[in-house]
Amino acid sequence: MATVESIQKAYIDFVLTEGEQPKSVYVFSKKNKMPEEEFYKYFASFDAIEQNIWTGFAVKTISEIKTQEVWPQYTSREKALSFFYSFFELVKGSRSFVVYSVKKQPKTFSTPQIFVGIKEVFETFCNDLIVEGIESNELSERKFFSNRYKDALWVQLVFVLHFWINDNSTGFEKTDEAIEKGINVTFDLFQRSPIDNLIEYGRFLAKHGGIKQSMGFGNN
Amino acid sequence: MSDQKEQNSIPTTKTQRSAKFVKTGFKIGGNYIKHYSKKLFNPDLDKTELNEDNASDIYESLSELKGSALKVAQMLSMDKNLLPQAYTDKFSQSQYNAPPLSGPLIVQTFRKYFGKTPDKIYDKFNVRSSNAASIGQVHQAELNGKKLAVKVQYPGVGDSISSDLKMVKPIAFRMLGMSEKELDVYMKEVEERLVEETDYELEVRRSIEFSTACAGLENVVFPKYYPELSSRRIITMDWLEGLHLREFLNTNPSQQMRNKIGQALWDFYNFQQHELRAVHADPHPGNFMITGDDKLGIIDFGCIKEMPDDFYYPFFSLTSTNLMENKPETIKAFRQLDMVHPSDTPAQVEFYYQMYRQMIGLFAKPYTTDHFDFSQTAFFDELYGFGEKVSKMPEFKQARGVKHFIYINRTNFGLYNILHELKACVKTDTFKPHVVQQFA
Repeated sequence: MATVESIQKAYIDFVLTEGEQPKSVYVFSKKNKMPEEEFYKYFASFDAIEQNIWTGFAVKTISEIKTQEVWPQYTSREKALSFFYSFFELVKGSRSFVVYSVKKQPKTFSTPQIFVGIKEVFETFCNDLIVEGIESNELSERKFFSNRYKDALWVQLVFVLHFWINDNSTGFEKTDEAIEKGINVTFDLFQRSPIDNLIEYGRFLAKHGGIKQSMGFGNN
Repeated sequence: MSDQKEQNSIPTTKTQRSAKFVKTGFKIGGNYIKHYSKKLFNPDLDKTELNEDNASDIYESLSELKGSALKVAQMLSMDKNLLPQAYTDKFSQSQYNAPPLSGPLIVQTFRKYFGKTPDKIYDKFNVRSSNAASIGQVHQAELNGKKLAVKVQYPGVGDSISSDLKMVKPIAFRMLGMSEKELDVYMKEVEERLVEETDYELEVRRSIEFSTACAGLENVVFPKYYPELSSRRIITMDWLEGLHLREFLNTNPSQQMRNKIGQALWDFYNFQQHELRAVHADPHPGNFMITGDDKLGIIDFGCIKEMPDDFYYPFFSLTSTNLMENKPETIKAFRQLDMVHPSDTPAQVEFYYQMYRQMIGLFAKPYTTDHFDFSQTAFFDELYGFGEKVSKMPEFKQARGVKHFIYINRTNFGLYNILHELKACVKTDTFKPHVVQQFA
């Protein structure tokens, strides 16, 4: 009897050995001695398997970090950092697959099909911690922008993923540095900063008008 | 290691630190604007000036934020002359400045090296660091009822040393008025030591070696190290309770107490230099604690300088008056130490002979009597005065002396400085240098 896991495993083994997807579900099923319809019970396509693996990475990471004793003490910033570190620690075990899967994606601005699931899980996770951060006043609530914070974190995740794929340092230490610095900068921007004050000042001046008059030095 | 109070007195808040980075960023941005606006009017302008502007701004913020760059400049200037007071003050601070690691990164580091999170290794582990160490930070932990100090290294420090030094090199040389080629050999020495400092496995091995070798010394204590709880980036050792050296001084200790601690310090250093021929080369006040029972606690064996015989004998033999009075043999020793070069003219030989004789005579003063009172400012004024004078002499623009001087000078002048701060009077004949009267 096939399971989600056994199909995933067989699929990873296939793509890593052959360097490409199986020619068809028929070929793949035959090789793994199961009827083709058995495959469709679990997955609609090969891309669906990959999507499922990626989503699994995020789900596993999140449930893992939440069991850590320090989790409740963490700030939003630290929770995000914790996700990143644990995520890359987890995918280290499947590095070959990750490299294969990421590298075959066409370079586009839209999210590749295989990332749709993980993006959703990740964004839900980010949304929770951003809301929490705004409530505790750790992060600054800004009209329009605060809804986009999670996008910034997603961009970070994709960036670090590519950084990690090209990282040659021992124990991927450079990736750790990239995470530490990148997430900190991102959260520095989410915090209340001079920009907020500047915007507020601008708003104040606009509201209390009279800029023209007061700048005119009695030019009547 | 410093303690909480010490840490509060230096700029360590997150905002202050990030402000510093931002400032550099702005400055460098400004340098580019300056460069391109000049280029508008003068298209031939090359990037030299821009690079210089950037380099010095980077250097500035480096020395404010990180130890390594500042250390290099200071060590080199120490080698050139005898370290003016102002440098020492900055030097004591340079170690404390680095941004702290986030809790998750600490957890990650443990998982990487031990495969488990710290709360699975220790009974208690505080993810917020209690102190900053030079290239890492210290966390408090507890295991089986024992209080532990866990030092975690910043990731990427090893890699950044080489690149930091490369960036700092040209500016440091210009600041010191020396050419790059001449000082490469010294630079290499510094780089080697700094890289060694990042190897925590080596540090644990050495700490155990040295604390065992020095176990017989009176009034000196060492924390116990736990190799099984240490790795390339993590060191676990006992938590030493006690006062930081500066704090100890603030308690207004009696003269007797000062002498006791001073003596322990003197014995610790001279036992290593003359018996082990390898020395804890980082006599930074933060590396010492005064324990509750008034003993000297020594932490941090990251920087060890080993002395080969061809350096040890000529150098320490000069501290004996008998050899110093024998001019031909003294010059032979100077030649072995590369303080007199083969290409020097007889007049130059005479000049350097006179200067170095005076310099080493001053350095060796504590060794020439059986007691030495380090509280006397006259000795230190003379030392600094001489150093200032030498630093202004064109004859000393060129680098002289073998590379080993950098760390041995730093060690001994560092030791003298601490003893001076302690205002201690110590017995200086406890571990005497081994000397020879003649050279091949």
